[in-house]
Amino acid sequence: MSDPIPAVQARSLSKHYGEGNTYVLALKEATFQIAPGEVVALLGPSGSGKSTLLTILGLINPPDTGWLQVGGVDVIRDGAAVGDANLIRRRNLGFVFQRSNLIPFLTAEENVRLVLELDDVPRREAVHRTREILESLGVADRASHLPMQLSGGQQQRVAIARALVHEPSLLLADEPTASLDKELGRRVMELLRTAAIERGAAVLIVTHDHRALDLVDRTFEIEDGVLDTEGAKVHGATL
Amino acid sequence: MNLSLRDIRHDSSRFLLTAVGLGLLLTVVLAMTGIYNGIIKDATALPDSLGADLWIVQRDTRGPFAELTRVSSDLEERARAVPGVARARSYVSHTIQRQLPNGRPLRFTAVGLSWPDDLGGGLPIIKGRPLAQPHYECLVDSSLGLALGQRIPLGRDVYTVVGITDGLLASGGDPAAFFTLSDAQRIQNDVSNEAIRLDREARSARVRQSALGRDPELVRFSGKNAQLIPALGPSPVSAVMLNVDPGVSLDTVQARLQGWQDVTVYSQAEQHALILGGVVEKTRLQIGLFRGLLVVISAILMGLIIYTMTVDKIHSIALLKLLGARMSVILGMILEEALLLGGIAYVLAVILGNFAFDIFPRRVVIENEHRLALLVIVTAISVASSAIGMKKALAADPNEVLAA
Ligand SMILES: Nc1ncnc2c1ncn2[C@@H]1O[C@H](COP(=O)(O)OP(=O)(O)OP(=O)(O)O)[C@@H](O)[C@H]1O
Ligand SMILES: [Mg+2]
Repeated sequence: MSDPIPAVQARSLSKHYGEGNTYVLALKEATFQIAPGEVVALLGPSGSGKSTLLTILGLINPPDTGWLQVGGVDVIRDGAAVGDANLIRRRNLGFVFQRSNLIPFLTAEENVRLVLELDDVPRREAVHRTREILESLGVADRASHLPMQLSGGQQQRVAIARALVHEPSLLLADEPTASLDKELGRRVMELLRTAAIERGAAVLIVTHDHRALDLVDRTFEIEDGVLDTEGAKVHGATL
Repeated sequence: MNLSLRDIRHDSSRFLLTAVGLGLLLTVVLAMTGIYNGIIKDATALPDSLGADLWIVQRDTRGPFAELTRVSSDLEERARAVPGVARARSYVSHTIQRQLPNGRPLRFTAVGLSWPDDLGGGLPIIKGRPLAQPHYECLVDSSLGLALGQRIPLGRDVYTVVGITDGLLASGGDPAAFFTLSDAQRIQNDVSNEAIRLDREARSARVRQSALGRDPELVRFSGKNAQLIPALGPSPVSAVMLNVDPGVSLDTVQARLQGWQDVTVYSQAEQHALILGGVVEKTRLQIGLFRGLLVVISAILMGLIIYTMTVDKIHSIALLKLLGARMSVILGMILEEALLLGGIAYVLAVILGNFAFDIFPRRVVIENEHRLALLVIVTAISVASSAIGMKKALAADPNEVLAA
């Protein structure tokens, strides 16, 4: 059902917080894979473990146990990080959050180009690729604006450009449209989907917005840390 | 892409204002250094310009720049007879405060030069000429504000300014004025007619009451001008300055003179040490302490500023970590900002100092070595304070971005 080389492949990822009274098993044996260009929604009530899963996949917090491959490369082996997490982040991962995605003292263009320059992409090429992705997301005319001079929707589009410009294997998005109104949220989701598919990135989106689910290929559901990847195929079937 | 410049540009007015504030603080540090150097230079300029190898002073005193010393005026002759001594000059000095006819107060230290051996040719004369007559001429320091050719009444006589020297202050900080030895003594001993009359009567009375009074001739003389009574003591001088023959060991001459029971002999270097160790010691220490304190304050302030600047962009730093930025990129940004802040402040301090220090009432001496020292200090402070910011940056958690 998926490509021979998944963009991301997770096996038995578990994570707990606290000890004794405060012990919470936030993620239980999560196992799944996502193909390049596939867009997956992660649904679940508050406190169910969505952010926990995202931070593990983003190499921000380590899991207790489990394996993780991104772009066919081992990054977590039996709970332990393998290789240079910084390098994996700047090459293979992209992030979009609800808001405050952008560095306030850099222009829209610089925010996007920064990701390439952090990975030593030559300046000329970086400028070119940045302009291209800003154009495809419809914010090229705002390239020299600072984040605070942009609307919420424009900020999110720049953030998506920033998360995809280096063509990562996996894009992680935590409620990227939550601070936008319905129309705009849907428009931004469409752009995100198109841009991700064009660049062959697997996408995992945490969302509460069930109305945009027709834009995703699959849904994962999580409850009390238990991940159900067999959530019905979309196009209205889930709800 | 240079992150530090972009961060600064984003809030450039705040950054510049901070740099200006720090720059002013560094200007004061520089001023303190300059005043410190000025004190040393002022204190040593006069003895240095007189160019003596050895100073003979009253036994067990610390010399004319530290305290009152008196040696008899024939010491000059005695010293000249010592083998190896090339030149011996008497030295007198005393501070006086008078008023010019126009009412302006005039305070200076009168220094006597041995006429005709020393005409003041060795002094840093910037205008006019050395002394050329045995009486009624003087050289004054430029800080006294007198003009060449100006006539100054002192006591019964009027003296003409024939030369202006530069930067010669006595240990008290008063400008120096140079006269022939006898003129200097005359100015020092200038008292009113009535005082002279009373003094002569008292002297005659003393002579009559003592064994000396058995000589009627002596009694008669004792009521006259003291200058006419060599036996009753011509005015003693403060010290005698010696220069030794070339090729003669200073130590040998000094050791020989030390054998005289009535005097103490100091080399120029010892004289320096006495001046710096005694007269200006407290001022020097105080200014030095002040300067050290200001450096510490600058360091603390700079540390706080860099820390605050780092805290202000901690979200951006967490974001950079999330984007996989190398730690060197983040730490470099903080270091660059600290160095830029220190650099701007430093340049400002040096430029400001160049203009401001000329109008300071005291002499401010800033050489390139002092500017370099300040640069080293500022760089060290910048690096140290960026370390405080770096510590904060290292602790920044990418989770903070998610939580926002
Ligand atoms: N740092 C932490 N320390 C202790 N417990 C934590 C921590 N982070 C999360 N948890 C707990 O783990 C569980 C899962 O939290 P998580 O943040 O993953 O939920 P979520 O699905 O993202 O919720 P929401 O939709 O509200 O963002 C919750 O019970 C939460 O209380
Ligand atoms: Mg969450």
